[in-house]
Amino acid sequence: MSSMAQTRSQVAQSVRRSSRPDIIRRILFALRTLVILLVLAFTLFPVVWIISASFNPTGSMTSQTLIPQNVHSISDLLVNFDKLLNNPQVPFWRWISNSAVVAVTNTILSLAITALSAYAFSRFRFRGRRSLLVTILLIQVFPNLLAMVALYLMLLQIGPYVTILGVNFGLNSHGGLVLCYLGGAMGVNTWLTKGFFDTIPRDIDESAEVDGATHWQTFWYLVFPLVRPILAVVALLSFVGTFNEFVLARILLTDRDNWTLMVGLYNFVSAKFTDDWGVFAAGSLIAATPVVMLYMVLQKYIVGGLTQGAVKG
Amino acid sequence: MAAAQAKQRAPSPTGISLSVVAYSLRLLAIGIVSVFSFWLAVQVGRDGNLFLAFALVLIAVGVGAINLIPGLWPLRWMSPGLALMALLAIYPLIYTVYIAFTNYSDGHLYTKERAVQLMSNAQYLPAESVSYSWELYGNDEGTFALWLTTEEGATFFAAPGQPLATVTLNQSGEAPYDKDGLPATFNGFRQLSGKERLQAMRDANLQTIQFGDPANPIGITSRSSAGNYQQKWVYDAEQDAVVDKETNVIYKADVSVGEFVAADGSHAPLGFWVQVGVENFTRIFTSVSIREPLLRVFGWTIAFAFFSVLTAFSLGLFMALMLDKFPGARFIKSLLIIPYAVPGMISILIWRGMLNPNGGVITSSLNGLLGWAPPWHTDPGWAKVAVLLVNLWLAFPYFMLICTGALQSISSAIYEAAEVDGANAWQRFWSLTLPLLLVAVGPLLIASFTYNFNNFLLIEALFGGGPPMVGTSAPPVGHTDNLISYTYRYAFSSGGSREYGFASAIAIVIFFMVGGLTLFQFRFTKRWEEVGDNV
Repeated sequence: MSSMAQTRSQVAQSVRRSSRPDIIRRILFALRTLVILLVLAFTLFPVVWIISASFNPTGSMTSQTLIPQNVHSISDLLVNFDKLLNNPQVPFWRWISNSAVVAVTNTILSLAITALSAYAFSRFRFRGRRSLLVTILLIQVFPNLLAMVALYLMLLQIGPYVTILGVNFGLNSHGGLVLCYLGGAMGVNTWLTKGFFDTIPRDIDESAEVDGATHWQTFWYLVFPLVRPILAVVALLSFVGTFNEFVLARILLTDRDNWTLMVGLYNFVSAKFTDDWGVFAAGSLIAATPVVMLYMVLQKYIVGGLTQGAVKG
Repeated sequence: MAAAQAKQRAPSPTGISLSVVAYSLRLLAIGIVSVFSFWLAVQVGRDGNLFLAFALVLIAVGVGAINLIPGLWPLRWMSPGLALMALLAIYPLIYTVYIAFTNYSDGHLYTKERAVQLMSNAQYLPAESVSYSWELYGNDEGTFALWLTTEEGATFFAAPGQPLATVTLNQSGEAPYDKDGLPATFNGFRQLSGKERLQAMRDANLQTIQFGDPANPIGITSRSSAGNYQQKWVYDAEQDAVVDKETNVIYKADVSVGEFVAADGSHAPLGFWVQVGVENFTRIFTSVSIREPLLRVFGWTIAFAFFSVLTAFSLGLFMALMLDKFPGARFIKSLLIIPYAVPGMISILIWRGMLNPNGGVITSSLNGLLGWAPPWHTDPGWAKVAVLLVNLWLAFPYFMLICTGALQSISSAIYEAAEVDGANAWQRFWSLTLPLLLVAVGPLLIASFTYNFNNFLLIEALFGGGPPMVGTSAPPVGHTDNLISYTYRYAFSSGGSREYGFASAIAIVIFFMVGGLTLFQFRFTKRWEEVGDNV
């Protein structure tokens, strides 16, 4: 801590005071660069290593080199991807599509629940409103992970009876998994979204209602377009969160064909890690790239959207 | 949306018809939801899950009330969310408490009635009741069937899953009938030769096939005889016991432990579900073989949560300071947040591979360079270091982003004032920057502490909780296990039996700890006041 503090202040001073000797300034700058490079290496090494592993034709952990050896053609580089995607024991596309279906369904539904609840909390005054808000806050504190036994047993108990339009909601079904995620939808994002709704002046609603608009019309035509930025944030968080969720998915999904990507990758790894390292790397690369891209691209958009929305409000 | 509201407004021609349509649609939706919920409640209630049935009815009534009572119209907007929250967040909490006071576990999954009913499905072949001789038939799909002859000479044809067909012999001795009068083919089945029969007995597990009507099946008991299966377990209401008809042993129901117990102390295959009072909690606090590992797990849970926040925050703050006004800081930061963006599961598995003792790059490089590598997988101390290291990698970018933002919000005028007062760099950091920063990011630090208190993913995916503690088995507890992975092991581990009741009791103990932390957090952040002001 102490050296860090000194370094920082000294650097700050060196910027401010040109009186400090040039040589010390240079040494400090070199030290600072060195530290940053070290942390960069720490951060990026696993990423570089896994990318290298995915293109390494030997595919095993022990024989991996940073620069792939014995590469004679492009197809040599893609050996692991070929093994991954053409292995009947590893229904990789199936897992990806499972994850996508679960994440998209959960995102849309939780967005609807969040938007409607937040609007009601923000705009309507009714008895019990405050205690309801506090209750939601309190429930969100307890991770649904702690109730994993109860959730598991409930899906086990309702499973035989709840097949609606061909979608089952019991154990080992995507319907049941989404249901469990949705149970937390209200708690997680209602407060965040309500805060944003509050920043939009009520004059808008009131003038609309004087003109005879129903609550629904006010919400849909006036307020909803203004809150799209925060809904984009909620959607992104919800999508990435669901896509990455592992624990509930692992407990509730038992069949290989029903696994989400994270459960599939984990179980695949547990089986033969060292031998299938290259295949795992290929799978990780395919799975992580879209999420990282989404994050990098949308983060800027969303930060921009947030400020823009605030200005509009 | 609300008919009651619409009535108060100046009625427009379309408005009225629309609201009538909306009202009817709403009634229809509520009707469907209610009917389905009540039906489901009856079904799960019949299985003995009265608790769930009651919750379903309560929620259905609540949703109905919200949507039909005009005064509750604002709640209509959130009724789907509230219903889901009630069913999947509140009910599980209450149900967890309920399970914690039962012996719910593998072998005790059902009510007594249901356990008796399930056991009554089990059948056995009584050796003495053999009454058929059999000839084997088979078809091209590999299904076998029996031509059965009783001692009295009556003949039947038994294919799996079909009722017995009474058949007659044809004693003419002409083809297609053999000398005993059996047809060469019957109903698509072909009589098998002695050789095929031997082969089938060897390869196809003929003894396990049930022939004929599933309600009263027939099985092969020996090379030449077959007999009717009989119900193995019969409930005797008078003694409140199940009787094993094969051995005639009586297993009396013991409601204090939820087992059917024989005189020699052995148990029937299925126990049942009973209230056991505070036994699960007593077990947590008194059993030495549970308490000792649990205490260590508890200590590590706190230590892990504390050190993971401390290390990640320190490195995050350090990097935020280092990158302050550094050339290319924006670009470097965008590289540094990659760990934050990669799905956590994948990052952890990558680290698990790199730390692998057999050829993981970190282990083998250290071995090559120093001739020694930390025994991450066998030494508890090093395993914990590895967990913290991986967590540092995962978490510091988040704190770097937060600290960057917080540092920018600290006014530079304060620093100038301090400099004028003669404070040196160290004093300025220690008494100005850090306190101001902590005020800004304090709530996030506590939130992060709570998150890591419940961090299951890292613990489970990196080492599976290992290395195992000596002396714990079924399920094995590991040195890096935290409370939540410990709970998971009791409830869902593949090794030991699944002890739902006991796991729920541990979960409740964790509830109280998390609750305490949260209370502290609310105090600390004055969230209550905020709640009071903002709602």
